[in-house]
Amino acid sequence: MAQKTTSTGRELTMSRAMVEAVADEMREDEEVFLMGEDVADYGGIFSSATGLREEFGYDRVMDVPISETSYIGAGVGAAQAGMRPIVELMFADFFGVAMDQIYNNMAKNTYMSGGAVNVPMVLTTAVGGTYNDAAQHSQTLYGTFAHLPGMKVVVPSTAHDAKGLMHSAIRDDDPVVYMFHKRLMGLGWMPSPDGPKTEVPEDPYAIPFGEADVKREGEDATVVTLGLHVHRAMDAAEALAEDGIDAEVVDLRTLTPLDTETVLESVRKTGRLVVVDEDYHSYGVTGEIVSVAAEDALADLEAVERVALPDVPIPYARPLENEVIPDADDIAAAVRATQE
Amino acid sequence: MSTERIAVELASAWPEDAESVDEGVVANWFVREGATVDAGDTLCEIQIEKVSVDVPAPADGVLEEIVLHENDEFTHDDTLAYLRPD
Repeated sequence: MAQKTTSTGRELTMSRAMVEAVADEMREDEEVFLMGEDVADYGGIFSSATGLREEFGYDRVMDVPISETSYIGAGVGAAQAGMRPIVELMFADFFGVAMDQIYNNMAKNTYMSGGAVNVPMVLTTAVGGTYNDAAQHSQTLYGTFAHLPGMKVVVPSTAHDAKGLMHSAIRDDDPVVYMFHKRLMGLGWMPSPDGPKTEVPEDPYAIPFGEADVKREGEDATVVTLGLHVHRAMDAAEALAEDGIDAEVVDLRTLTPLDTETVLESVRKTGRLVVVDEDYHSYGVTGEIVSVAAEDALADLEAVERVALPDVPIPYARPLENEVIPDADDIAAAVRATQE
Repeated sequence: MSTERIAVELASAWPEDAESVDEGVVANWFVREGATVDAGDTLCEIQIEKVSVDVPAPADGVLEEIVLHENDEFTHDDTLAYLRPD
């Protein structure tokens, strides 16, 4: 994993890295506050807010009623009035009940007001499956949010990136959707794979949006992915290396803005593109990245593969869910297919 | 290095309201063997009855040996690690 910081010997889970960034910004700027379901007394059901209420109190870390429309709307209003709200939508799957606030207000009010107001708000939300929580609690919906203009979309894959991207999200003067994968948080009750827990500097640092990270360099194929599947792609790359196939793994880190340059540079080098997404196959990240490559690196493209969730609701049953969510073997098979 | 290394005992981290429970699991280590820590730094996170508990370093020093690794199960009287104080 690319680490650009000095070694401190201290490692953090992704959840703790996120919380560290939020706490630091809250100490620096009293306009930063957090609200969401079960963020205060419970600390967030995926530990996205552990300890914040204890340090900052109920005025700045607020539990809200189960009405996403009201509290996300309140966040938009607070942001327009000059505050910097961090608003947690417990599961991305439930964006639907508040879509008017998210899409028509949070994302568009700056434009609709001719720049008279802006919305410096962070909408944090838990995404992803792999833990048998069925079709309404397991989606990533990356494509849904990235498709709609007016919002920046952030998807960290490691603790190091999660902290730096959270600092950037809170400091951004426009709305940011910060999508964290439950399986990467490092929860005792939902163990993470190896990889997301990294060394994390104690001092604040910002990772700019629109900069993908090459998590593994390789010559034979480009694997473009994000979130949990960065780690599955790394596992696949390790297995492929034993067979002499050298895969490059590009972690997008932000979907909007999208770092097309890093993708194109890699595709021009390898000529073979595999896009891996935990979101649905159609009209999503895989189609978008393949299009970017086709538009600007067509002459270099020898082979293209897409690895994504089939266009079906995510099953509850463990064997069925394991079947539809791409794993390292699926990724390795797709990379092998590009080498023929 | 003449100081005696000290054991990081699970008993000292055990939550009072979980005294009737006698097993748990190591969830996360945040410090690697050989790293220098200050007293009070979080060494690791353990889970007892699905409750997370942070285990602090009992003294300034070097984390010399991790006895129980991530996902290892333990009981009340086990030793988590050894620390050599500065």
